Amino acid sequence: MHLFDEYYKNNNLLTRVDVRIKLILTFSLLVMVLCSNGIIFPLFIAMLCIVLCKFIDIPSRVMLIRFSEPLFIAAMLLFLKFFFTGHEPLFCVSIAGIDIVGYKDGLMEGIRLSSRIIGAVSLIALAGFSSPFTDIITGLSWFKIPSQFVDLLMITYRYIFVLFEDAGVIYNAQKNRLGYSSIRSGLSSFGTLSGELIIRAFDRSQITTQAMFQRGYTGNMPVGHSASFKINEVAIAVVIIFAAGVLWKIM
Amino acid sequence: MKKTVFKTACTALNNFKIHFFVLSAFIFLMLSGNAYAMHISEGILPFNWAVLWFVVAAPFVAYGLYKLKKLSSIDPSFKPLVGLVAAVVFIISCMPMPVPTAGTCSHPCGTGISAILLGPGLSVLVAAVALFIQALFLAHGGLSTLGANIVSMGIMGSFAGYITFKTLRGFNTNLFAAGFVAGLIADWATYLSTSVELASGIMGGSPFMPLFTKIIIAFVPTQLPLGILEGAITGGMVVLLYKKRPDLLIKMKVIKSVGGVANEA
Repeated sequence: MHLFDEYYKNNNLLTRVDVRIKLILTFSLLVMVLCSNGIIFPLFIAMLCIVLCKFIDIPSRVMLIRFSEPLFIAAMLLFLKFFFTGHEPLFCVSIAGIDIVGYKDGLMEGIRLSSRIIGAVSLIALAGFSSPFTDIITGLSWFKIPSQFVDLLMITYRYIFVLFEDAGVIYNAQKNRLGYSSIRSGLSSFGTLSGELIIRAFDRSQITTQAMFQRGYTGNMPVGHSASFKINEVAIAVVIIFAAGVLWKIM
Repeated sequence: MKKTVFKTACTALNNFKIHFFVLSAFIFLMLSGNAYAMHISEGILPFNWAVLWFVVAAPFVAYGLYKLKKLSSIDPSFKPLVGLVAAVVFIISCMPMPVPTAGTCSHPCGTGISAILLGPGLSVLVAAVALFIQALFLAHGGLSTLGANIVSMGIMGSFAGYITFKTLRGFNTNLFAAGFVAGLIADWATYLSTSVELASGIMGGSPFMPLFTKIIIAFVPTQLPLGILEGAITGGMVVLLYKKRPDLLIKMKVIKSVGGVANEA
């Protein structure tokens, strides 16, 4: 797992934009991508997002890692659609007595599906890369997401790093003692690691509660207040949504 | 006669197609470093299907929130506990595990153990929180597919795991066996519902069943052994907790305390 906090440190144009504007824009464009019937609009959005990611100095390696899983899934679905769905054969090859038929309509459907995945993933990646988690939490509170859910998000996010470090220490200790040298020992080691994490989670929850009450916790986590909207940011967002809507209609 | 020959030829062709499909699925899975087969990726589901799964997931998440609020008012340490278990589920479901039959890596869900410890209502919430963070920061799953992923991993995984565990414990099955089967069923229920969601979302004009079957076959090389591995890990975790911290299992009402001593039965 790559720790995802380190890429927000850059103070740039996109990170300075109000997170609520970014969430509204992301959601609006995501709906357009999901409702898109063509391939040009999602690919256009993907290209735009990738350019913006480069603009805020996200390393190419990090982007490749982020996109590797969705790209694999997109390729798998393209393959599935091309060879196994459709009615209009594009080609037929016989290899070792097996007829492999590729369908034209299946290929088109696969490309459409893949472009939708790439477009949607790029949007969320850009939103994630350009918004610190605490800002997203503040934004979600403004959108009236239940406070219990927001509290849980904050606690979970805080302790992922702590428990991940614990897991790393246990894992390395197990690995150095050949804990993962065979499937059987690997399973046993992984079970111990997971169980140990659960025990630490229980123990930390007690300590955390005590510490939180000492710091004035009353049952709900304090969330930062959102500043009022900036007129220029709202105007730009409206223009972007309108322009994207027009492009969506045309493409 | 002609009809029989034609029928045989069609069957043979279909068999070849299935062999070709299985072979291709193996090659694809072996090529990929990590087959994160459990989460539906961002953008796969069309808008209407994405909304439908959100609607299905919403009452379960609402129930989880209600239960959390109720339990937190009795014991204030409950909210941090659920948050920390969500962090553990997040970490467990990010850890690659070797799947020998496919020559690749996949990951466990972790909802089986969270359902056993916290109950299915809160386990749905745990899955929702872990999935939300994974979608936003790791491109693992997605925001538009969050509803669908909550239904498969959170609801189906948690309820299947919890019901299995409770039923087996009702028949006095030992902790490891009950945990093993609960983990196995939770994993397979997740994979089955993911297949249903995927097939219904991407079928377009094609019929549902053939596509569903193909997706199931594609998942088999990783999810079948992974379910067994997750079962073994879940069983191992429950036993480890029983040996090291039986007080936690008593607190979470997984086992009973008889005269102040943890009683496995």
